Amino acid sequence: MSHAATAPGAVTPGAARAWGWVAHLRDGGTTPWVAWTVEAQPSGRVLPGAQQLELLRRLNLAASARPLAPGLADRVLTAAAPGRGKPDLALVGVAGTGYGPLPVDPANLPADELVRVATSVLAEDVVRLGVPRERRGLPRPRPHRHRVAGDPVLATAAREALGPRRLGAGPMVVIGAPLDQMLADVWTRRCFERGSGAWLEWLRFWQQRGQLPPRVDLPAVADRHAGSPGGVTVVLDPTALPDALGVRRVPAARRPGADAAELARRIATVVGLLVPPDERARLMSRTVWPRIPLTSMPPVSVPDEHREWVTRAAERMTRRLRRAGYPVVGDPAAVAPVLTGQTPAPERPDAAVLELAVRMLVDEDWTKETR
Amino acid sequence: MSTPPTPTTDPTTDATTGAAARKRVLLHVGTPKTGTSYLQDVLFRNREVLRGHGILYPADRFDGHFLAALDLMRLTWGGLETQAVGAWDRLAEQVRAWPGTSIISHEILSTASPTQVDRALTSFGEGVEVHVIVSVRDLVRQVPAEWQENVKHRSLVSYAHFLEMIRDPARDTRIGSWFWGAQEIPDILDRWGAILPPEQVHLVTVPRPGAAPDELWRRFSHAFGLDGIDLDLTPERANPSLGVPETALLRLVNKRVTPVVDPPDYRPLVRELLAHQTLSRRTGSARLGLPPDTHEWVQELSRSWVAEVEKRGYDVVGDLADLVGAPSGTFVDPDTAPAEDLLPAALDAITALLVEGSRLREVEANLARELEETRHELVLARRSNAERAVQALEARPAGRRALGIYRRVRGRHY
Repeated sequence: MSHAATAPGAVTPGAARAWGWVAHLRDGGTTPWVAWTVEAQPSGRVLPGAQQLELLRRLNLAASARPLAPGLADRVLTAAAPGRGKPDLALVGVAGTGYGPLPVDPANLPADELVRVATSVLAEDVVRLGVPRERRGLPRPRPHRHRVAGDPVLATAAREALGPRRLGAGPMVVIGAPLDQMLADVWTRRCFERGSGAWLEWLRFWQQRGQLPPRVDLPAVADRHAGSPGGVTVVLDPTALPDALGVRRVPAARRPGADAAELARRIATVVGLLVPPDERARLMSRTVWPRIPLTSMPPVSVPDEHREWVTRAAERMTRRLRRAGYPVVGDPAAVAPVLTGQTPAPERPDAAVLELAVRMLVDEDWTKETR
Repeated sequence: MSTPPTPTTDPTTDATTGAAARKRVLLHVGTPKTGTSYLQDVLFRNREVLRGHGILYPADRFDGHFLAALDLMRLTWGGLETQAVGAWDRLAEQVRAWPGTSIISHEILSTASPTQVDRALTSFGEGVEVHVIVSVRDLVRQVPAEWQENVKHRSLVSYAHFLEMIRDPARDTRIGSWFWGAQEIPDILDRWGAILPPEQVHLVTVPRPGAAPDELWRRFSHAFGLDGIDLDLTPERANPSLGVPETALLRLVNKRVTPVVDPPDYRPLVRELLAHQTLSRRTGSARLGLPPDTHEWVQELSRSWVAEVEKRGYDVVGDLADLVGAPSGTFVDPDTAPAEDLLPAALDAITALLVEGSRLREVEANLARELEETRHELVLARRSNAERAVQALEARPAGRRALGIYRRVRGRHY
């Protein structure tokens, strides 16, 4: 009997053992499949795939005997693994027809396969949470409004400082930083908007094109807004930013680690299958960005093999900013890339991404808080 | 060959007996490269005629069922998936509301997981008779066709490496995993047909090369119960194959362009313009086949599938022997295609891109002109009353004189 169709009443011993394991996992059990021996009658038409079952076991392990949220076990067991990865796999030891992919011991599945299933469930959570209502704050008489562009992580912090009432038609402030950091920030922020290719793939795309992402091509952004009412100012000195915006302080920029950004990137892909593109961007930037749990992994950084072209691009940017006809606050050379001194995040942080995904599924605090 | 589902003239009534018609879903789940584009095009263009015969083909765009399949399976497809939100549920709702026969057809459904199959079948509601239809073609043609399809979807993989991946029993690669998910006939039937009686599972075999041109349509027509309905069968859509040098050229193009051209641009420029509209027209070049050892292997595998399918007792439309494929012919290796063979195709490709570039420049110039005109109209619309009066006066000699007097009196010179 294939894992595809385990009709009640026609259960082989292997399938009965598998149904016993399903019941065990639903009850919060943590025994690995290879150590499981108890049989049970089918509780559904279809035996869940090895990926779904193993993810549920990992959730039970992480919950340490605490019950999972109501309905979560069922949602995991019926979750589709999105994208073109492996199909749902059969458990080793459950007799099949001999066709289809080889059955597996679920304990040996790569973390990436479990993350696929987890993102499907997390994306549904994100859609269920919806977009939070914007807090308008107290009305101010004739507020000085500004628009903000440039490095998207710094711009997010600046918009937070301005609040909705002081954000809008007015002078444009373009915020810049060292180019390597701006590139990392654009990718990270994209993960929390429309999704993106993987970090290094994305970086190679811009290298091969010989261009910069439009948001951090500061002279091009400034040129576009130079003729607009209120004019444009490029701010490269972070200490001068509050003055440029007319606020007392700008909160520290929040930079999720490489594992959190990668998980968000993959959640964004699935959210894009559940809601229209504009709503996905709102959900990812306003629901997920402020809530995703902090991790100890540093954000992505530009690896050594990309330093040369990034440095050349920064030099070109410096020259264009020096020639600019609009105000530039700070040294135009400040866009030169800097070595952060941090240990770079691993290229494929799969294990850490799975750990974070499991943490978010088990502990629902992230769904309640907005930092 | 069992009796096909009979169309009725009224969705609620059987034409011959007058009895209430059975509510039925004919679910065509692949496989790819079996004439599915042509079938779907005929069904889509004739959907009003079909409706008159009690058959619903619920789609408001040609690729409606593709989008529904992406939604059901949570698949991404170069950005197209963003248009697929909620598409399966909408499709299923129409099927549930239709009292007669509904047809759903898309080949990527062949890769659905058991859980997704269960969701799909459940979504049609209670009391529906579901027939699963699988169109199948011999692996001798399917293997090279799948590699070409990969190349037309940005793949850089050589033919030799592709064959190596699909021959690996572990199926650990994305290519191996997807290929067998879409092509391993007994497994597809396990997933889709497991809970159906064998007489509700229909296999349509693609005829061998050299068969009458309309033979495949005749088989589809029989399997879907369309015999006797007057349908417009003019071919408007096809997914044409490429020759050996053309596919080799496209793979080289992919190496250059995939890092710098995003999927939403790749699809119209490379897949459609270069592959489908330009390179596929070069029909005189060598066709892609299988190396002798792979040919032997796939034929042996196919014979084992034929035996398995015969054992299961499904309804077969056509001949299971079609699945074994033609004997081995001369193999032309695309991985070692010489540069001089690629040159004519490359020149055609450059020409097509330049023509497209010229067309886009013209479009750009037209848009710029329209934008300028719109801006001018906007300026005119925003004029103040004073500006309107001045411009009206300046248009006539008497008005210009009056304006001159006014300006002198006010001491103005403009």
